[in-house]
Amino acid sequence: MEQNNENKNENKNSPIARRKFLRVLGTAVAGGSILAISGGLISRVKGSEVSHYWQIDPQKCTQCGRCETDCVLQVSAVKCIHANKICGYCDLCGGYYRSNVKELNTAAENLMCPTGAIQRKFVEDPYFEYSIDESLCNGCGKCVKGCSSFGNGSLYLQIKRDLCKDCNECSIATVCASNAITRVSLDKPYKLKDE
Amino acid sequence: MNKILLICLFLLQLGQGVAQNRFPKPDFESGYKYPEIHYATPNEELLVMVDIFLLVALMGIVSWAVIRKRTRKPIIWVSVISVAYFGFFRHGCVCSIGSIQNISLALVDNTYVLPLSVLLFFILPVLFAFLFGRVFCAGVCPFGALQELVHIKSYKLPRTLTILLGMIPWIYLIFAILYAITRTSFIICHFDPFIGIFRLGGELGMILFGVILLILAIFTGRPFCRFMCPYGALLSLFSSVSIWKIRLTDKSCIDCELCHNACPVDAIRAPYQKKATESRLRGVKRLLNYFVLLPLMILCGAFLMRSVSNELSRSNKEVRLYEMVIQHEANPEEVLSVDLEAFYGQGGVVEELAKRAEKVQTDFNFYSTIAGVFIGLVIGITLIELSVKRTRKLYEIDHAACVGCARCFSYCPQYKIGNESGNTSL
Repeated sequence: MEQNNENKNENKNSPIARRKFLRVLGTAVAGGSILAISGGLISRVKGSEVSHYWQIDPQKCTQCGRCETDCVLQVSAVKCIHANKICGYCDLCGGYYRSNVKELNTAAENLMCPTGAIQRKFVEDPYFEYSIDESLCNGCGKCVKGCSSFGNGSLYLQIKRDLCKDCNECSIATVCASNAITRVSLDKPYKLKDE
Repeated sequence: MNKILLICLFLLQLGQGVAQNRFPKPDFESGYKYPEIHYATPNEELLVMVDIFLLVALMGIVSWAVIRKRTRKPIIWVSVISVAYFGFFRHGCVCSIGSIQNISLALVDNTYVLPLSVLLFFILPVLFAFLFGRVFCAGVCPFGALQELVHIKSYKLPRTLTILLGMIPWIYLIFAILYAITRTSFIICHFDPFIGIFRLGGELGMILFGVILLILAIFTGRPFCRFMCPYGALLSLFSSVSIWKIRLTDKSCIDCELCHNACPVDAIRAPYQKKATESRLRGVKRLLNYFVLLPLMILCGAFLMRSVSNELSRSNKEVRLYEMVIQHEANPEEVLSVDLEAFYGQGGVVEELAKRAEKVQTDFNFYSTIAGVFIGLVIGITLIELSVKRTRKLYEIDHAACVGCARCFSYCPQYKIGNESGNTSL
């Protein structure tokens, strides 16, 4: 306090000078903190990628159905994709038909997919080729559940990169029951089963 | 045909335990080829480059416009570009406001992967704020730009109300960091009022909130920026000590009040002569009381936040799952929820989960206490700010609050004289 008074006597503009000093101090602190944060974090960035994507690990996924409901998009960015190379091409497909069907025809009540997104094409006796119409798929994962419990697991869910908004925090990941959604690097945007 | 079915069913029984490859790869006789499927991937790296280039370029244009040229026209264009590109085209992720959470999580958690784009989106606007003031807020931030573009008439809010509402961004910031560093949730992203508008769809409540904010923004400047935005609060710290500052005019102020009326965010402070409503001693005493009160408030904040930290931690996924497990163990005959099914299905060990949940709770305990300290500090400083009145002889820009929208320049009669004679020096 005494020192302050002395300063005042020395310099009539003392409060202004003090304010100026505080401002310079503030500038120094602010500049220093920017340098510190960027310096501290740039070393962390080094070697990692410019950006990254959210993706589902099909090995962990339990098809709880939240992908359909919890995406920020009205129709989820999660779609079912089909790995032809591990598909059994069966007629009685656990992903195509419901489990208790009596007749193997394409009547809607027999089919697993609620939106009719799974299409099948006759290849040769007894094989059928299955494919997903992405525009119809809503990512509910019912077929995936059927395929992985009764079949080869060739149907699985992935986040489609052209649809996903790549939210800072994936809102499906926050509710995912099996913690299957994690960040992947840009050069490996999908976790494909047939690679 | 039926034979195949039978075989399939038989294999099905066999293969129940085996996860995959219940059916062998078919031998095609008709020369069938597997279809080639390519899954679309956007050129994200290029887009990120464009993002960062635009961010820097737009902030540069705004800095040049407000510091050097003192004109508003480029800022309107920057706002339009920002709303169109960052808002409607890129759908706003990752934005600088949300990047606070990534940065703070990266600072406490070494395993967290921080992409370069996120770091740049966080640090570049801070750097620009340190150099030129809040030029990012002016029109580069799509949220600020959107509110700026709809703004028509500035109705002034009472100063006390502005200061009190001005606490919200700080408290929001503290909670956002608390929830981010405990890996609970990115609340800034979840309670983002404008993202639904940019994406043309989303949670109805948040879109409604965004629309209400936009309607308010027509009548009063930038309600989101002033009373909600945590990043704006952070930038205001840097802009108040910025190296180059926005100045209305090089000539002397003629005390006309026009700039004050034009400012949408109430960043131009009116002259204030100290009128002795109370004796100096009483004023000093009151201030001293506040300074004594400040540590008390900090202590109170810390104590209160610590006591509710367990409640807060229940929004964490691990803690919630652990609670579900405990509930399930209490009455095991109940149907398993989806989460528990997944947990047990993946062979989750309850002890490990308990350990993880406990760690989250201790983290919450610790960080909530610190958060409480800061909340007490924010409230205390706001109170002090309310009671301290500085003498001002002329109209002055409050650089912490100024968002650099540049509306004031054209209102200043002195500026017009200066501009006509071509004097636009710094």
